[in-house]
Amino acid sequence: MRRSKTMEFGVGLFMIAGILGLVFLGLRVSGLTLSAPAQSFQLEANFANIGSLKPRARVTMAGVTVGRVESIELDTQWFDARVVLSLDSELEGQLSRDTIASILTAGLLGEQYIGLSAGGDPEMLEEGDTIRDTQSALVLEELIQQFVSNMASN
Amino acid sequence: MQSKFSNGTARITRLGRRGCDLMEALGRAGVFLFQSAVGVPSREGWRLWLHQMHFVGVLSLAIVLVSGLFIGMVLALQGYTILVDFGAEQALGQMVALSLLRELAPVVAALLFAGRAGSALTAEIGLMKATEQLTSMEMIGVDPLRRVVAPRLWAGFVSLPILTVGFSVVGIWGGYLVGVEWLGVFEGSYWSNMQANVAFVSDIGNGMIKSAVFALVVTWIAVFQGYDLVPTSEGISRATTRTVVYSSLAVLGLDFVLTAVMFGGL
Amino acid sequence: MTDAPFIEIEDLYFSRGDHEIFRGINMTIPRGKVTAIMGPSGTGKTTLLKLIGGQLTPERGRIVIDGQDVHRLSRKALFTLRKRMGMLFQSGALFSDLDVFENVAFPLRVHTDLPDTMVRDLVLLKLQAVGLRGARHLTPAELSGGMARRVALARAVALDPELILYDEPFVGQDPISMGVLVQLIKRLNQALQLTSVVVSHDIKETLSIADYLYLIADGQVVAHGTPQTLDTNQDPRVSQFIHGEPDGPVPFHYPAEAFYRDILGEPPMTKTG
Repeated sequence: MRRSKTMEFGVGLFMIAGILGLVFLGLRVSGLTLSAPAQSFQLEANFANIGSLKPRARVTMAGVTVGRVESIELDTQWFDARVVLSLDSELEGQLSRDTIASILTAGLLGEQYIGLSAGGDPEMLEEGDTIRDTQSALVLEELIQQFVSNMASN
Repeated sequence: MQSKFSNGTARITRLGRRGCDLMEALGRAGVFLFQSAVGVPSREGWRLWLHQMHFVGVLSLAIVLVSGLFIGMVLALQGYTILVDFGAEQALGQMVALSLLRELAPVVAALLFAGRAGSALTAEIGLMKATEQLTSMEMIGVDPLRRVVAPRLWAGFVSLPILTVGFSVVGIWGGYLVGVEWLGVFEGSYWSNMQANVAFVSDIGNGMIKSAVFALVVTWIAVFQGYDLVPTSEGISRATTRTVVYSSLAVLGLDFVLTAVMFGGL
Repeated sequence: MTDAPFIEIEDLYFSRGDHEIFRGINMTIPRGKVTAIMGPSGTGKTTLLKLIGGQLTPERGRIVIDGQDVHRLSRKALFTLRKRMGMLFQSGALFSDLDVFENVAFPLRVHTDLPDTMVRDLVLLKLQAVGLRGARHLTPAELSGGMARRVALARAVALDPELILYDEPFVGQDPISMGVLVQLIKRLNQALQLTSVVVSHDIKETLSIADYLYLIADGQVVAHGTPQTLDTNQDPRVSQFIHGEPDGPVPFHYPAEAFYRDILGEPPMTKTG
């Protein structure tokens, strides 16, 4: 009887370990956050070109992760990309209207993310507002083209 | 001429008979699966299931975790030497995690499972058949499909996905050990790159679906081979070999099909 | 009603592949008696028990147990009928993952809702009857062949069945355990008012316990009667078996080419057809 108890205990541990492993994979590996939707607020930003930005990419401010990219879709009115950002709720009402959102690249070939830099406008961004000042992703081909045409004109 | 002709027909006849045998075996295996898997387990059934979970799951944990650790470490080592040529070693975390979650963990864990637990299941059920335990159970009025086969089938089906999760976790940790601790990839980029590129549903979820499919197929093959074998010592050894061979082939073949459907844009 | 035979076998045909095992067997097995079915090895005696137990299905003919045609029953009804039967297997067939006590308790646990204390009492009672109450904590691997068969017997009678089928109960036993088994079968039959069917080729032991005998050979019943009538039967097939003569209608040699041809290495005669 004791042997079967330890066996049952072992099986219980085994199954708990499986669930914990799955939680680890979810949180640490795929970066799911457990924070409820109430703890974040959303802003929109339109970019002329998002490069290879993907949903759930990081949004940083001064290098600190403050949110994630919620969704990316084509804005059929202006034919540019509308990116919805989901940011920590403590930043709600703290970002000025002229905050700049730029698409940056980690390293030369690394993943792309959004960097926010604060502005000086006294009016603040609220839930659902749109960031006007945006900088598109650097596209390598365009850079090279510019470089070559500069060379030619010199 | 006469003999050549009859040789040819004999060959065709043989081929036909093989085909019929194969279809018949598949049909038997299907009915077998249905009869053992369908039904509400009793309290006794839960106890038997728990016992089998220990046997096929907990006892397979060690080999699966050790293999996972080594595979993660090798992935990091190989990946690093390739990525560093492009200056992209910060993508190491992404590479290790995606290869493990999508392919290596479900497939390798299933292959190990077939060798460790599948062959044991076949031999155990086969021995019970050879010593008339299954027949005597039937004569006592207990269906061996429900009593012997069903707990094993369900235990295998539940265990393998758990083992696969363990394999992935340990493999990613092994990749971290080699990549970050030893080769000096920046720790922050190992994790953040991974988090930015691994999607929960499409990568982890699909890996789990694969694992569940493999679990069903491997356990099914193992218990059916045990139940259907010729009850002699030679028959048991043959069936055990068949379990490992068939389930390995089935896992690799199904993996291609599933990958094509999940990630191949079909 | 009590005078009606317990088992009736009518015109039974069964074959395995191309090999015909039974070609029209008729038997009636009386209630409350020990009936022995005897015959040389390989005549399908065990197959007959499996047919009676409903594990195999005959090609033709039927087997009626207490008014129920075994092979027309649904799976559920068949399992219900089997609760009224016990079967003792040649190897004992104890469940290797359970100890002696749990093996005997197994039928009680799956078919009854008795409380644990009552299961314990019943199991100890059955083990006492076969003299192995002290061995209840052993595993089947620790038992000798004779003990395993006695435990299996205790398990077979655990549910107090009306019918027990014995498959070669005496094979491979030393004289002492053989004597014990003969005693047990006899006693159980008298004490529990059982109907017993013993399949065996051990003549002496079987003759000593059987009330009625069937002798099968070549897929047919060649003789039946009480032990006394069979002992004096003049049919050469019967007397060869009963008296254990090495050669007779059942030849000593497996069918083969003439011996001198084999030895001299001459080409074998081609078979026609």
